[in-house]
Amino acid sequence: MKTLLNLSVAAMLLAGGAFLYADDDEHEEHENHRSSRVAQPVTPQEKATVALYTKECGACHMAYQPQFLPKRSWDKTMNTLDNHFSTDATLDPADHKTIQNYLATHASKNDRMSDMKGAVALRISETPYFVREHREVTKKMVTQPEVKSFANCNACHTQATNGSYREREIRIPNYGRWE
Amino acid sequence: MKYLAIVSFFSMSLMAASPEVVQYMNELSKTAKVENSSFNGFDAVRGKEIFTSTHTGKQGKPMSCTSCHTVNLANSGKNSLTGKVIDPLSPRANPQRLTSTKEVTKWLKRNFMDVYAREGSAQEKGDVLTYIMKN
Repeated sequence: MKTLLNLSVAAMLLAGGAFLYADDDEHEEHENHRSSRVAQPVTPQEKATVALYTKECGACHMAYQPQFLPKRSWDKTMNTLDNHFSTDATLDPADHKTIQNYLATHASKNDRMSDMKGAVALRISETPYFVREHREVTKKMVTQPEVKSFANCNACHTQATNGSYREREIRIPNYGRWE
Repeated sequence: MKYLAIVSFFSMSLMAASPEVVQYMNELSKTAKVENSSFNGFDAVRGKEIFTSTHTGKQGKPMSCTSCHTVNLANSGKNSLTGKVIDPLSPRANPQRLTSTKEVTKWLKRNFMDVYAREGSAQEKGDVLTYIMKN
């Protein structure tokens, strides 16, 4: 019975992992990645963890999908929450541990910082991958009050909070679709 | 109907903080008395001063609680760094407020650090909670 349970958990994890690579958006241009959609929670326990992550980190900014940074970035972030972009974002020790484990487990397996000469990115927008994907976005589009900065993914990526970053879902305030 | 409205108004006033938060404030009160022998109960007027005055915050810039929460606690605020909307602090406008000691202690620590660049004393925390309860 236990083996059967373990097997079904493994199958669910595999199904969840498949999300990382599933992309029905054939017409979009992607260079070093095949997905514009990131993994969704699968088990009830993971759903509870995602809910905790969304509540705690999403209180001040969008709860960025862990797949956007490698583990060493998340570890650096979680180890410096007392000075998190000049604010105190400290957590209760149990929640801190749960969130750090969640981020480590789902961190990007690809090295998206290979051009950073050993520096460890804290901002997703610092990673060469992000910079390349946003190279045609003008400064004015980003600094306008409706967007404020690259930190507000969901200002333009209308499905960002659901983990979907397809080009056809982009609506830049005062500019419209990305074409 | 009018009578019902009055009753619900009174029960809301009584429930400005949940039992666990009231318990937390009682503990703060005991600590405040230990730290300051002339302490004679929390004061919303002192709490308002803590909430509305400007200080050099963690970022080294002038900062106040109102920088994000605004001066009207019944209104939504906005995170001054990210622009994310913050639900009203007033328990009357937002019944979720002051219901969880875990939430209250987390945000008091964070926000005192952000605005005052230090943690608040037991008296300061109780004063500011008293101010929030009455608004």
